[in-house]
Amino acid sequence: MPATRRTRSAVLATLTALLLGSAGCSSGASGEPVDAAGPPRSGGTLTWAIETEPITLNPHQYAQAKARLLVWNSFEALLTHDRDGNLVPWLATGYQVAPDGLSYTVALRTDVTFHDGEKFDAAAVKANVDQLRQPGYAPAVAAVQLRNLKDVEVVDPATVRFVLTRPDVLILDFLASPQGAQVSPRSLRTAANLKAGGTDVVGTGPFVLDGYAPGQELRYRKNPAYDWAPPTAGHTGPAHLDRITYRFLKESSVRVGALTSGQVQLVEGVPATDQPLIAGNPTLRLHRELNSGSAYSYYFNVSHPPFDDVRVRRAFRDAVDVDAVLRAVYQDTATRAWSVVSPASRFYDKRFEGSYGGNPERANALLDQAGWTGRDAAGYRTKDGRRLTVRLVQSAPFVRDRRDILAQAVQAAVRQSAGIDLAVSVVDQGTATEALNGNRYEVFDNSRADTDAGAALNLLLHSQGAINRVRSRDAELDRLLDTGQATGDPQRRTGIYADLQQRVVADQAFVLPLYAPADQVAASNRVGGVGFEPTAGVPASAYDLWIGG
Amino acid sequence: MGRDPADGRGDRDGTRLRPEPPARLRRVPRNRLRRVPGTRLRPVLRRLGTGAVVLWAAATAAYLALLAAPGDTVDSIVGDGADSPQIRAQVVAEWGLDRPEVVQYLDYLWRLAHGDLGRSYLLQRPVAEVVGDQLLPTLKLALAAAVLGVALALLASAGTAGSRRPWLRRVTSTTELVLVSTPPFLIGIVLLSLLSFRFGLFPVAGDRGFAALVLPAVTLALPIAGLLGQVLRDGLDRALDEPFVVTARSRGLHERAVLVRHALRHALLPAVTLAGWLFGVLLGGSVIVEQVFGRPGLGQVTLTAVTGKDMPVVLAVVVLSAAGYVLVSTAADLAYLLIDPRLRRS
Repeated sequence: MPATRRTRSAVLATLTALLLGSAGCSSGASGEPVDAAGPPRSGGTLTWAIETEPITLNPHQYAQAKARLLVWNSFEALLTHDRDGNLVPWLATGYQVAPDGLSYTVALRTDVTFHDGEKFDAAAVKANVDQLRQPGYAPAVAAVQLRNLKDVEVVDPATVRFVLTRPDVLILDFLASPQGAQVSPRSLRTAANLKAGGTDVVGTGPFVLDGYAPGQELRYRKNPAYDWAPPTAGHTGPAHLDRITYRFLKESSVRVGALTSGQVQLVEGVPATDQPLIAGNPTLRLHRELNSGSAYSYYFNVSHPPFDDVRVRRAFRDAVDVDAVLRAVYQDTATRAWSVVSPASRFYDKRFEGSYGGNPERANALLDQAGWTGRDAAGYRTKDGRRLTVRLVQSAPFVRDRRDILAQAVQAAVRQSAGIDLAVSVVDQGTATEALNGNRYEVFDNSRADTDAGAALNLLLHSQGAINRVRSRDAELDRLLDTGQATGDPQRRTGIYADLQQRVVADQAFVLPLYAPADQVAASNRVGGVGFEPTAGVPASAYDLWIGG
Repeated sequence: MGRDPADGRGDRDGTRLRPEPPARLRRVPRNRLRRVPGTRLRPVLRRLGTGAVVLWAAATAAYLALLAAPGDTVDSIVGDGADSPQIRAQVVAEWGLDRPEVVQYLDYLWRLAHGDLGRSYLLQRPVAEVVGDQLLPTLKLALAAAVLGVALALLASAGTAGSRRPWLRRVTSTTELVLVSTPPFLIGIVLLSLLSFRFGLFPVAGDRGFAALVLPAVTLALPIAGLLGQVLRDGLDRALDEPFVVTARSRGLHERAVLVRHALRHALLPAVTLAGWLFGVLLGGSVIVEQVFGRPGLGQVTLTAVTGKDMPVVLAVVVLSAAGYVLVSTAADLAYLLIDPRLRRS
């Protein structure tokens, strides 16, 4: 199965490169991209080809990082992040935290209306949070992001107070997240399929959802009344574009072809193989940005052998030359990660760069010390007659960025340099969940695109975490995570998460960080204002986009 | 030692290998088909009955298969996100997954019998709406592809059957073989790259008018034309070797008339047998073609539902396809009667 898929993609890549390459070359001499967008201009229509069709259009149900660029077109949150990861007001005008950290009082804008004419006020905010806590509506949000929320109080129409059961700074991250986006209370009451969203579930954003053709496209039109852009935006007032259509094109070669032939003006998701094509075309531009949150990493299951021994964990890391592996799979387009936290996050700790990995001698010495001294007929290390096998189970529906191919490259590397047998299986979601819940795995792979890396680390590393596949029961780790969540001062939080990374990456070697997930947008040079959402690092909404005359 | 069903001139060589051929089709009185209403109704009822059994069997088989698949429904609803007992309990309560499986199955059948297909776990919308939205684009695509494929196959086989122009025959036959063995995925990408990206003749994506239908329909039609063409040509060749062809020619019939009026009728029988296969190809092919061309349709819905283990949608698609099969095979049986008058006797 992986073999045929690889052949298929190789054939495809070659074929499209040949066919498209000739098209690209004939359209002009290559050189520096020419900027044809000019100054920002109002009016016009754009078509943007995106890879992922959202499962739901209701922001409360948001679960796909790839769908984030759609959310902020028609919905908005109380707060948002600026480029440095600080929270800035959006639908709020500011917030105040109580000295005991147990309540947050948020002042709201008074000039905002929803697309259906409903007024945005404190009652609307409360209606949204109450809806999120309805049983069966958004179980994951209620159980994770709103875990420490006691109640929401309407102080006056322009002030709302979030009362907590214990100090939790991540409530602010929730207020800046898609799940915390504000939906019109009327939509909450009357929408035909509230959880699925649609044209009858509306927000306050710069665009109004005009039409949804499942399997084909989403159509938005400008909200002419819009006048409450956040300070992070490139302009104020209504959006530049009259209309924007997002077309779902799942095949990357088809997306790129549609762009080079001018049928769409922007595409999202450009795989490594197609990036030279864009770069070589003077009428196109490639924009790239690292995602925030946690890096794509292999987490070692420390609850049973062989990874209960820190020496084996270190040996596994030293057996892989991550740079070589990334180059083989992604050419030069991937950014190596050195810590469990993405290099794009404000909490990223540089200290670990170059501190481990790519050292087969040390890997072999460590394995010898750990007692894996035997070798079987296939050349793998053994101990007491058992082969040094570690299993990585990947769920096929969630494999992206060719992570299955990357796993094969790591597999070859650890086998060759240290005699470790990495057994990779790409299976359906049910089988994967069974293996994970039944503790029948040694390696777990994951990356999370949370804007606050602390939220990702809570899920992945806390002994009570909802995706703790390390299965660590580490009191020190729990203490650091809890303190990080309860500490308001950014400086002190950075220090806490630095200590945490020291423990996870250096002292305990719980993870092998591989690369920092990134998003790419390729656009015609007539399109201006292409950018990424600050901190999150995913493509921004269409608010700042314009098309040159 | 065949006989021409369209030209039942009698049994010249005396060996009765097949039933006595009837008179020419045009001489068969139309009303003979509906002569005895009672005896005509019974087969129809039997057909409807077997159809219902097929539907039930398909729904049940799909239900059992999904039940037997690893992981439970809660797993697929939770996905790869946060997973805690609290979240699971909510999911179970919301969908009534704590009831015994037999009860869930009977409940499902009961609702199915009343035309209620349930709600999609993944998309949170009524299944009838999810599938209903996507039915028309797929039907359009399938119909266009089927008509185009059959037309191409007829042209290719009728144009090259017999021993005239051997070089053309060889070229056509090879092309057909290549088309049959090329994955539609590749055909689609090549057509797109050339005709859409390079020359800009057709738009790439969506269900937006005739121009956007051309490339997907051609992609889906080519493999159909390839296989059907081979089968038809083979049938034509056999028929042209039969004695009745000599008779027909000796009556001074033009070669084209011999081919179309006499030989083609023979060749059509095995081709019609492939109707079920054709339906399968259209259904399976639409998954790939819709993905490549960014078209809405049932194929896309099926793919998403199967990978996400979205049970209500998968079941709806299975039942719908079973209904399609029943319909197509009934149509094929009727077509036999039209093509071969000998079969109307039994």
